[in-house]
Amino acid sequence: MKRKWGFTAAAIAIAATALVGCSSQQAGKETTTAGKEETKQAEETTKAAENAGGGKTLTVAIWDKNQEPGLTEIMSDFTKATGIKTQIQITPWEQYWTMLEAGATGGSLPDVFWMHSNEISKYAQYDMLLDLTDKIKDSKTLEMDKFPKEIVDIYKWEGKKQLAVPKDIDTIALWYNKTMFDEAGISYPDATWTWDTFADAAKKLTKSDGSQYGFTVKPTNDQAGWCNIVYDMGGYVISDDKKSSGFGQEGTIKGLTFLTDLMKKGYAPPYEVVAENADEALFEAGKVAMITQGSWMLPELCNNDYVKANCDIAVLPKDAASGKRISIYNGLGWAASANTSMPEEAWKLIEYMGSKEAQQKQSDLGVVISAYEGTTDNWVKAYPAFNLKAYLDMKEDIVIRPYSKSTMVWTNMIHDKLIDAWNGNKTTEEVCKDIEKEMNSMLASE
Amino acid sequence: MNIKIKGSRRERSEFLWGWLFLLPTMAGLIILNIIPIIQTVYQSFFKTGAFGRGNVFVGLQNYEKLFTDSLVWQALMNTFKYALVEVPFSIVIALLLAVLMDGKIRGKSAWRTIYFLPMVAAPAAVAMVWRWLYNSEFGLFNHLLNSLGLSSVNWISNPSTAYISVAVVGIWSIIGYNMVLFIAGLKEIPRDYYEASQIDGAGGVKQFFYITLPLISPTMFFVAVTRIIGAMQVFDSIYMMMDKSNPALVKTQSLVYLFYRYSFVEGNKGYGSSIVLLLLVVILLITVIQMVCQKKWVNYS
Repeated sequence: MKRKWGFTAAAIAIAATALVGCSSQQAGKETTTAGKEETKQAEETTKAAENAGGGKTLTVAIWDKNQEPGLTEIMSDFTKATGIKTQIQITPWEQYWTMLEAGATGGSLPDVFWMHSNEISKYAQYDMLLDLTDKIKDSKTLEMDKFPKEIVDIYKWEGKKQLAVPKDIDTIALWYNKTMFDEAGISYPDATWTWDTFADAAKKLTKSDGSQYGFTVKPTNDQAGWCNIVYDMGGYVISDDKKSSGFGQEGTIKGLTFLTDLMKKGYAPPYEVVAENADEALFEAGKVAMITQGSWMLPELCNNDYVKANCDIAVLPKDAASGKRISIYNGLGWAASANTSMPEEAWKLIEYMGSKEAQQKQSDLGVVISAYEGTTDNWVKAYPAFNLKAYLDMKEDIVIRPYSKSTMVWTNMIHDKLIDAWNGNKTTEEVCKDIEKEMNSMLASE
Repeated sequence: MNIKIKGSRRERSEFLWGWLFLLPTMAGLIILNIIPIIQTVYQSFFKTGAFGRGNVFVGLQNYEKLFTDSLVWQALMNTFKYALVEVPFSIVIALLLAVLMDGKIRGKSAWRTIYFLPMVAAPAAVAMVWRWLYNSEFGLFNHLLNSLGLSSVNWISNPSTAYISVAVVGIWSIIGYNMVLFIAGLKEIPRDYYEASQIDGAGGVKQFFYITLPLISPTMFFVAVTRIIGAMQVFDSIYMMMDKSNPALVKTQSLVYLFYRYSFVEGNKGYGSSIVLLLLVVILLITVIQMVCQKKWVNYS
């Protein structure tokens, strides 16, 4: 009996360890299948191109399926001009970075892909990206000074190596439900609105039976949500030298308190509802009268039938005291893998995507606001039923989205801690002070 | 060399063929399981850089952090709470269903298929469907409650009950699998016992407690051991059903979820490794305790 016991124990121990080992692999597997399904579509579209001629194909990784049709069109122009074929792979944002990191670790990054300010430093530090500095210098079609300098700088590692070419910029604006405004007898938001007008309207637009709320903010969507008001009121998230947190600043606390107070008063749905549902989903369902959203959401919102029939866009309110109307902005970059088998072809694609011609087309098709100076005029015509000009007006006073080398680590921490402020378990000031302390120690160990 | 002298030709050939047949399984185990386990242990002593490069040896620092990290202990508690709901219910319900399926009822195979279906469906898809059923604003459950005049429930965002909602999905998905194992166990019980007891005047309930339950205990033991291991590793349903901003997440996230977040979202693989090793030790302990206790209740007749 004794022997039998020992053997089974060992067998089970091995089974247990095996299962523990597996869990990490499973996590990865899920990601790839999620990505794969969406790639299928892209594959089909490129198949037609493949039949046209021989040669290899560049894989291009992106995370936003809304942009796929437009980018496919632009890239087919590229294929026509150069004979280099491309294939777009879509992986949703949540899994995109896991996919990219796994690719970088295993030496199989896509040839060309989107880069983001959250993650660039990691890839730059370990030389995962193709150095474009000299290529840009020799290029005839690419003019880096036509792009906003702050976006160029995000992708300029240590101020020297240019590792990505700007693709677009995004700004934030206010979406409102005209039908609800009419019903409440309030005039539509415009450039005269301050955050106090906003609060007042939110109050009037809230129905006591919980069927309709004045506004909502997705707590994890910092760029499109609470960040803007924090900067309006004179606060900031991270200092310019990226060494200290701004959560102890008076303006930061004031901005966040303003929003959490409105939630406590019941002018926004309870935190649990916002946590389970996207803010745009609540807006599309006619549950909330106002949301703040980024320009990247246009394909989603503008193609929704309810939104088309009832809603429009205005600039964000400004702060009465400071007079500031700030939009946090960010911009993606086109980067290439350092060990791609086709560096020349990859570079040509990036060069093309950054050229005036492609940038113009990107705006014209309404894909996103292009980063290239003077190419955005036609963008407002992409969805004529909406006042897209609000997004361009927001470009007047912009602040780059807060980032540092370890952006992901401290943004996750901020989101976690702010939960207590949103649902009122702690005072907003207390939470902010706590965040400041933790964030400073995180920044110190970067 | 010894083997060559000792063993006969036949013994040698058996030895060789034996290992040859074992080879595919062994290779799989070593490459996919044993080596990653060793690497995980190794990694847990490092502050890992991105892409598996730039690792810095930090000794026991990750473990020191582990013992002071309240999130880890909360996650361990959450994992236990989840297992305490999932395992007993999935076993009891599955056993009752198995006994029903083993009796004389119409459309047996149709019922079996229905109960086994959740096992065939992709876990991620299952979790997505349940997420929408549970949704506090647009979900079917709250819709039904509201139409009965009751108020809505925050199924997956109430910190004190969300783990139960997640466990219900776990129970629902695993019942069919447990049931099939139990049916196999029931088939092993000789029919004579039931006939004999019937003559002695035992009813269905008595038969269940005095014949079925003791004789199915080996299967029960197997199911309990594997289910506890499975439940302790819950990840996919939590990952799919709960948003990062969910206020109940801290009180629901499991150790594997925390491991995923640290390792893959925040890129701290060294610390993630130490968390998953903690889980390994906990599972080993529970399994050893089960092995010791089985003598008291498992009946190998």
